Amino acid sequence: MKKWMVFLMAISLLFCFSPGAMAKKKVYINGIDANFPPFSYVDKSGHPAGFDVEALNWIAHKMGFKVIHKPMDWDGIIPNLLAKKIDIIASGMSITPEREKVVNFTIPYWKIEQVFVVRKDSHLTVQDVLTGHKLLGVQRGTSEAEWLKKQKKKRGWNFTLRYYDSAPLAIVDLVNGRIDAAAMDDAPAADAVRKKPVKILGTFGMPPEKFGYAVRKQDKKLLETLNTGLRLLMKDPYWQHLIDKYHPGH
Amino acid sequence: MSHPLQVVITSLPYLLGGAVVTVGIVVGAMALGFFIGLPLAFVQVYGNIVLRKIAAFYVWFFRGIPVLVLLFLFYFGLFTLIDWNITAFWAAVLVLGMRGGAYQSQIFRGSILSIPSGQLKAARALGMTDLQAIFYIILPQTLRIALPGWSNEYSIVLKDSAIAFVLGTSEIMSRTHFVASRTYEQLAMYLTAGAIYFVLTWVGVHLLKRLENRLKIPGYTS
Repeated sequence: MKKWMVFLMAISLLFCFSPGAMAKKKVYINGIDANFPPFSYVDKSGHPAGFDVEALNWIAHKMGFKVIHKPMDWDGIIPNLLAKKIDIIASGMSITPEREKVVNFTIPYWKIEQVFVVRKDSHLTVQDVLTGHKLLGVQRGTSEAEWLKKQKKKRGWNFTLRYYDSAPLAIVDLVNGRIDAAAMDDAPAADAVRKKPVKILGTFGMPPEKFGYAVRKQDKKLLETLNTGLRLLMKDPYWQHLIDKYHPGH
Repeated sequence: MSHPLQVVITSLPYLLGGAVVTVGIVVGAMALGFFIGLPLAFVQVYGNIVLRKIAAFYVWFFRGIPVLVLLFLFYFGLFTLIDWNITAFWAAVLVLGMRGGAYQSQIFRGSILSIPSGQLKAARALGMTDLQAIFYIILPQTLRIALPGWSNEYSIVLKDSAIAFVLGTSEIMSRTHFVASRTYEQLAMYLTAGAIYFVLTWVGVHLLKRLENRLKIPGYTS
């Protein structure tokens, strides 16, 4: 019994050391919410993929550093950054004043709008969802969840919020009929429309947001490197190639 | 949209990679729990009042807090406070191991108490010291008696390890989530994850059962 225990421990040890750790280049770990297609997810073979993943790979190549993408839970992604388990969050993170208190953001690289998603055969309007005593699903820890909760009281809306671990789970519950609508970024909403019988109802009055990469406050150099890289990338034809490949808009 | 079965088959190697991580966490946690739980059990039975109180506090602490809270508390809280840059994998091993130690100590304590106290007295009468008696007489029997309970603990830790995905370990559950998010094949994917856990539980319990049969003292039932 001891022998196979040692064997399994050895195997598990292998998983702890990332292959890039030995290289000379500076290695940064990028934490991604792999439940956020098309910005960040894992592909068929289990490798991190998506708009943000490929964009950061390009930047890393141009700026001369190595990047390892580490899929993790969205709820723990900022704590993971602050605890130095990861160095970057490039995973469709909206730049918000609350987050800016604890992390630094790069220049914005993508503008997104929050939309309501409903079942394909639904006759609901945006107003119905807001004031018709509906059940509304959101992903926990997102800016839209915060905004809806705050504005609900202010504006006298009467929907009930249901919290989910990820946007796709909210979509599944929507299709199942357990909620009437789901609020999310337009990009994952468009992804859902391609894969499930749902449709985008439209925006609901939340101001558009911008995505940026997040780094720790003290990592000023890394922030500069990423900003330079982003500027180069957005001027490069590869940027349009990425947009065509992943259709992050709707 | 591809067929659910096709999604399961293409993602299976990825999920099985997660199973290796899960097994690593469970084996590490069970081993750590053993080396914490066994001494803790003897301390609770034979220790002096101070040691007994410390052991009781340890068990009370780790049994009284949900494993999710423990994981967050140690990984993002205490380990960060002391600036210990431990990986999510080892943090899961450590936390599940420390908690397992509390539960395992109760399994071993029950086993120790089930051994008639006359044996200890007889050992003393033969000139053994207390430590010798515990090591040569009580301990071998304790381990045998504890095996069924220990095997049960294995199946519990295995399933609890799924919660380690909140730290960002890439085990079965987190990988299942990722594939389900991309493909929207929730039913097929969670069924597959359940099947993998089922097989791991069955294999582990079966192996421990064989160990139990091999170590059984003929004619001695307990």
